[in-house]
Amino acid sequence: MPAAAQSRSAWHGGQAGVEATATALTRPAVLAFYQARGFSAQAISPYADSCVFSFELRNTTQKTVRLRLADWRAQTAAGTLRFRLPPSWEAEWARRGVAEPARIAFRWAQFQADIEFAPGDWIMGMAALERRPDGAFRLNIPLSLDRRRHEITLDALACAQ
Amino acid sequence: MERRRALVRLAGLGCLLAAGPLAAQGGGMTPVAGTPAAPPLALPDIDDKPVDLAAHRGRLVLVNFWATWCPPCRREFPSLSRLQKLFKPSELAVLAVNVGEDAETIFSFAGASDVTILLDRDSAAMRRWPVKGLPSTFVVDKQGRLALRAVGGREFDDAAIVAQLRGLLRV
Repeated sequence: MPAAAQSRSAWHGGQAGVEATATALTRPAVLAFYQARGFSAQAISPYADSCVFSFELRNTTQKTVRLRLADWRAQTAAGTLRFRLPPSWEAEWARRGVAEPARIAFRWAQFQADIEFAPGDWIMGMAALERRPDGAFRLNIPLSLDRRRHEITLDALACAQ
Repeated sequence: MERRRALVRLAGLGCLLAAGPLAAQGGGMTPVAGTPAAPPLALPDIDDKPVDLAAHRGRLVLVNFWATWCPPCRREFPSLSRLQKLFKPSELAVLAVNVGEDAETIFSFAGASDVTILLDRDSAAMRRWPVKGLPSTFVVDKQGRLALRAVGGREFDDAAIVAQLRGLLRV
């Protein structure tokens, strides 16, 4: 991986008036955030150990934008990866006996799975890939704007070290 | 050890605050199609007194869903108070519904706020509303209907939003 890609932690792109920013989150940062919400380090470790990003999407158009986290694809050298969806994490926390207040905080700190946002709306949230990829990857974010399909592409993303 | 834990937590929150540019929180709110009746909202406030949205019929109510760990929620929170000061109590009430947190956590951020803070500890109330993420904000009109909504942070004393609210008062 080029040194520039290794040191970089934030990426920005846009398409058709929808802007996206992705920031790779380190394991200590993820641990600290969720422990402060009531998770034990052990309980949140599957999430903290994965490749976690904070995303911000902003609708600068005059139309409604629709997108689904399930449609996002990370194109790696070894193949395509998806994001693990919030319901899957919720099931994990139920299995691990995580207390409800922590689960509520986790639920709403995630990038929501199915989003429709109006002009001027913007959304932040975290999401983790289903597996941690080796090396950099391209992220494709499909979206629907005025019944037309568009795609935001963010190149050379990398998990935080 | 407690100080170290606190510093670690702050560092974690700080990283997440820096995660992504928190661009200007401007713009108005979006009209709600069909102006459906607002869902019920009856919760205790931070002093454990019951507050019911239904009792506010006849004036506008801005309902803001938030949490202390949510960076845009924290950023817009002072603007709720500034907005409230621009209207008479008979015209507008502001209800800031905190999701999932306890009074101590809320107070450590909000202090003795002049905004009415409601506690939705189990998020059951919020689940009845069309919340897309935090922060989500709705304006309930004088007839108890959802008139405006916004997803993501705003400066609620922005001229565009104030004008929208004054327009609703004239209806």
